Amino acid sequence: MTVAVSRFALPALGRRRRPRTLRPSGTVPMYIGIGLLSSIVLLIVVVPFLPLYDPFGQDLVDAMMPPFVAAEHPLGTDSLGRDVLSRLSLAGLVSVGIAATVVAINFVIGVTLGLIAGYRGGLLDSGIGALSDVQLAMPVVILLIALSAVFGPSTQLMVITLGLTYWVGYARVARALAMGLRDRDFVVSPLTQGGSHGRTVFTHVLPQVLPQMAVIASFDIAVIVGIESSLDYLGLGVQPPVPSWGAMITEGQKYLQINPWLVILPGIALFLLVAGMQFLSQRFTTESVAPARKGARR
Amino acid sequence: MSANDTPVLEVENLVVAADTAHGPVTLVDDVSFSVAPGEVLSLVGESGSGKSITMLAVMGLLPPGTWVASGRIRFQGTDLLDLDERALNELRGGRLAMVFQDPMTTLNPVRRVGSQLAEGVRLHDRSIGRAGARRRVVELLESVGIPDPAAKARDYPHQWSGGMRQRALIAGAMAHDPALLIADEPTTALDVTIQAQVMRVLAASRAASGSAMILITHDLGLVAQVADRVAVMYSGRIVETQDVYRIFDGPRHPYTAGLLASVLSLESADGAAYAIPGQPPTPAGRGEGCPFQPRCDIGRDREECGARPHLVSAGGSSIACHFPLVDGSLPVGEPLPTIAPLALASEVKAS
Repeated sequence: MTVAVSRFALPALGRRRRPRTLRPSGTVPMYIGIGLLSSIVLLIVVVPFLPLYDPFGQDLVDAMMPPFVAAEHPLGTDSLGRDVLSRLSLAGLVSVGIAATVVAINFVIGVTLGLIAGYRGGLLDSGIGALSDVQLAMPVVILLIALSAVFGPSTQLMVITLGLTYWVGYARVARALAMGLRDRDFVVSPLTQGGSHGRTVFTHVLPQVLPQMAVIASFDIAVIVGIESSLDYLGLGVQPPVPSWGAMITEGQKYLQINPWLVILPGIALFLLVAGMQFLSQRFTTESVAPARKGARR
Repeated sequence: MSANDTPVLEVENLVVAADTAHGPVTLVDDVSFSVAPGEVLSLVGESGSGKSITMLAVMGLLPPGTWVASGRIRFQGTDLLDLDERALNELRGGRLAMVFQDPMTTLNPVRRVGSQLAEGVRLHDRSIGRAGARRRVVELLESVGIPDPAAKARDYPHQWSGGMRQRALIAGAMAHDPALLIADEPTTALDVTIQAQVMRVLAASRAASGSAMILITHDLGLVAQVADRVAVMYSGRIVETQDVYRIFDGPRHPYTAGLLASVLSLESADGAAYAIPGQPPTPAGRGEGCPFQPRCDIGRDREECGARPHLVSAGGSSIACHFPLVDGSLPVGEPLPTIAPLALASEVKAS
C-alpha cells in the first residue's frame, strides 16, 4: 500500500521523492474511522425510518430468532421477540446522546476551570489542581455504585456523575495553554485599553484554546461511550425497557448458548463506534500537532 | 514646568516587589517622578532596570506574583492604587493609554485588525454601536496614514507590515484622547526606515490631543529628538532626572555619563564603543549601598558609597549620587579616563 509510506521511511526507499507527492500516513486511519463510523450513522439515522422499525413491540411467538432468517426481523429477535435491529438503532442513539451530553458537560467545566487556573494562577490554580487530582484518584464505577445505592440507578444519575468526573483532561490542557497565552502582548494589550480580565479571556484566550479542546473531546467521545456501555452492562445506567448496547449484552448473556447473536451484534456495534471515533480523532491529533503537514499534502 | 500645572502623573516612592523561589525581592525601589501635561518624559536604562515594571504598575497590570509594596501613583489627582478594577478599566484606554514594543505580537493573529481596534473604541463609548465603531476605526486608521482604511480594516494582522500595525495601535491608543500615553519602546521592533515615520505619526496624534507621554526606550538618539525630560533608571531606581539638553551636555550621575559614552560614535578615537565594566546587580543581589558602586570609577573605593544615595531634587532635576559629576567631570579634578568620548558628545550637541 503506497499511501501508508511515512515520512520517516523515505530514505530507505533509495530514491528521493518530492514532498508534495507524499500522502501523510495520518489520512489512512481517518478513512478507516470514517468508514467504521458511517455504518453506525447509517444504523442510527436510517433504521428508524424503515417500515419495520419497532424497538419495543414484543412478539413471544417469534422470540429468539437468529439473524438473516426472516425479512421482517433482519437481525433476529431477542428473548421477548423484540426486533434486534430496531433496538440496536435506538440504543446507538441513546449512547451517542449520552456521550455527547457528558462530553459537553466535561468540556464546559474543564475549559472554564482550566482557563481560570492558568490565567489567574496562584491559590486558585493550586486549588483547581488539587481538585483535579482528587477527581483522577476517584474510582468512577465505585462512586456510581454508591450513588446508585442511595438514589437508585438512572440515566440522569449516570450522566451527571460522568459529567462531573471526566473534565480533568480539558482542564489540564486549557490551563497549560492559558498560562502560555497570559503574558502574550495581544492578551495584555486589550487590558491596557480598558477590557476586563473576563472579557479578555473570553475573546482572546478561549478562541486559541478551543481547537485543542475539540481534539480532546473527539477522543473522549469514544472513551465515554465505552464507559457508559460498561456501566449499562452493570445495570447502573440506562434502565429497561430503553435499550442500550451494554444492557443488551447483559441480557443476551443469559441465552449465550441458544442465540449468541444477542451478545455479538451489540458488541460489534460498540466496537464500530469506539474504534471509528478513535481512528478519526487520531487524525485530528496529527493535524493539530503537526499542522505543517497540511502544506505538504498539496 | 510652571508652578500652577498639576502633573498628569505623579509617582512617589514607588516600591514594587515580586515573589521568587528565594523569597520576595524588590524590583522597583523607591522610584519617584512626575509628568506635566503635554510633556514627554523619557525613561531610559538597560534591560531589567525596572522601566517596564514601573509602567505596568502605573497601568495596574502587574503580572501575577508581583505587587506594589508601598508608594503612591497619582494620576490627575486620583490615587490609582485606591481604585478598584472597574474604575481602572474606565481609565485604561481612556485617559491613560499604552503602546507596546512589538506590533507583531500585540494584535491577535486570528482576528481582523478593524474588529480589534473597534473593541477598544466600544469599551469606552458604549453608545457608539457596531456600525459607529467601524466608522470610527476607519477614521482612526486614516488619521495615521493607512491607505484605503475601509478595506484595510478587514485584513488580518499578518497582511500588514510592522510599521502599519504600530501606526494602527497608536491610532487605537489615541482613540479617546488620553491625558497620558505610555509608549514602551514603540520603535524598537521596527525597521530603522519605519521608525521615523512611526514617531511622526505619534507626534502628530499627540499634538492633536495634547497628551503627555512617557517614552521608554534604549535609543538615545530618539530621546534627544523627542523627549523634554529624561529619567535614567538603574537597578530598579531612578538615578538621575534631567532636562534633555542638560543630560546630553552634562550628565551628573556616573552611570548616565557611562550610558551616553557607550553610544557608538563615528568620531570616537579608536572606533570602539565604550562599555561600562561589570554587570548590573540582580534584584536579589543588590547591596545596602549605591547599586552602581562596583562599576563606578569614582565611588568604587569610597566609603561613602557604601551607604545608599537618596534622590535629591533641585530645580526640576534630581540625582541619586554621593559624588555627582560637574559638567561631566569629577568635582575634585581627578581624571575620568573611561568617560573620555563624552567631550565629543557635548561638542556635537553644542554645534
